Amino acid sequence: MQLTETIILVIYLILMTLMGIYFTKRAHTSESDYWTAGRQINTFVGAFALFAALASSSSLMGAVGSGVSLGVPFLFAYGFGAVAILPFTMFLVSGQIRRSGVATLPEFFKQRYGNKVQLLAVAIVVIGMTFYMVPQLTASGLIGSYILGVEYTTAVIVLGIGFTLYAALGGMWAITYTDLVQGALILVGMFILSIIILIQHNGFGSLLQDALAVTPHFGDITQPWMSYFGLFLAFLWFGIVSPSAVMRNFASRDARVARRSAMWACLLYLTIFIFGFIVASAGATLGIAESLTNQDMIFISVIEHYMTPILAGIMFAGLIAAIMSSADAMLLAISAGVARDIYKEYIKKDASEKQVTRLGFVVMFIASLIGILIAINPPQLIAIMVGWVGGGLLSTFGFPLVLGIWWKRANTAGALAGMIGGGLTFVILVITEPFGVVAEPIIAAPVSLILLIVVSLMTPPPPEETQKQVDRYHGERIVS
Amino acid sequence: MNSKLKDPGIILLYVLVAVVAIVLIWWPTDIYLLGISLAGWLMFSTYLIWFLLAIIYVLWIERVQKEKENE
Repeated sequence: MQLTETIILVIYLILMTLMGIYFTKRAHTSESDYWTAGRQINTFVGAFALFAALASSSSLMGAVGSGVSLGVPFLFAYGFGAVAILPFTMFLVSGQIRRSGVATLPEFFKQRYGNKVQLLAVAIVVIGMTFYMVPQLTASGLIGSYILGVEYTTAVIVLGIGFTLYAALGGMWAITYTDLVQGALILVGMFILSIIILIQHNGFGSLLQDALAVTPHFGDITQPWMSYFGLFLAFLWFGIVSPSAVMRNFASRDARVARRSAMWACLLYLTIFIFGFIVASAGATLGIAESLTNQDMIFISVIEHYMTPILAGIMFAGLIAAIMSSADAMLLAISAGVARDIYKEYIKKDASEKQVTRLGFVVMFIASLIGILIAINPPQLIAIMVGWVGGGLLSTFGFPLVLGIWWKRANTAGALAGMIGGGLTFVILVITEPFGVVAEPIIAAPVSLILLIVVSLMTPPPPEETQKQVDRYHGERIVS
Repeated sequence: MNSKLKDPGIILLYVLVAVVAIVLIWWPTDIYLLGISLAGWLMFSTYLIWFLLAIIYVLWIERVQKEKENE
């Protein structure tokens, strides 16, 4: 057990849980408070929260690990798509979806396409977000087992239950404010680590030379072109198709705040990838990639090698922070999907707000339990698992959402065809593996787009009221 | 539909797609700078471009909306 690191980590986890408890009463006041923090989040808090939700374990551990083992251009491909998430989301959906007045992604699908599409969307959200918990739990298990000196499985269970507890207690209020702390911790931790690395290697130029001397393939494109393109696509769309990120939009005070939050979150995210480049270069100088059983551990090795135990403890807390802030947002998306979009909508319409938020609480624990069970034997590297989730959501949600906002003619039949066709194509490609890793959405997303357009054009247009609603998304006043 | 095609978001989307196309079509894997493939550096350089596009969009859309409100 690493004693100093353990103490710092435990203090951090207690502080975060206390924040969850502090926000419990406020969160359970109303449904709006629980799911969208009463729609009162300002630009500063919103930017950090959005950044922390996006900067998951994959952005940090996964990107650095794959950058060392597959060459640093693979890490650059991460950022190529991931930093573009925020402008891309703003260009196509941020303001419009905030203006729709809904609180969850499935609710938007109901407003635009009707009940059937909403139900399908809930199923996709619940499956997608539960699976997305797996890489987060894998990362927390790797860090936890290293620091606490316990079995990987024990670490996954303890930390998994830990972050479920505060997310379930405090809802979006706790999540947003803990994200502010966590976002700052990630940023400061990465900054300090980068400075230490640069000082020890006498600057960036010699760091790069050291990295290439020990790991000659570090600067190479080692994978097929389609893998880089697939990774780029999966990340680019993540802000649009991931309910955990989209829900941050709904928490903003208004559309202007939503946009400004996204702009500043872009700067924060960009910085993380620059620091990630420095950390990956340091990882390549260690020459340990081949000897590790799990290459996602490279980041942890870099921290241990370059930092004192106290700084390493803070950095590990930062890493756990990155995991928690993403996982809690996913848990909230899952519980909103079941409690709000299914239970209240279809099973018990007269359910009180307290009953709905309580159910959300239970659902979070069940989803977390399933995630923990899968994470005990993770199916792939963190980076690949995250790529799958992004690709799967893009292949199902991507075009039905974007065309729902921008094309009045998109209708229910088209949306259903796009979601089901894109989803099935994606699953078949994952199973049969005809291309490079994470290249599936290159084929599955266009299939979804074509089906959506063709089926919409072959069937009657949506009702007049729905078409007017599309104009409202763009802030156009309707004269009836 | 025409007004939507002139939306700042759609115009900047064209710019984003053009940048991506340049990087992925050119894809200079065999040219190296400081030991790293130029294809990698091109992807790295887009980080700053994406942030600039985000700033341009926010300022542009706010101006457009102000003009709409004044009408």
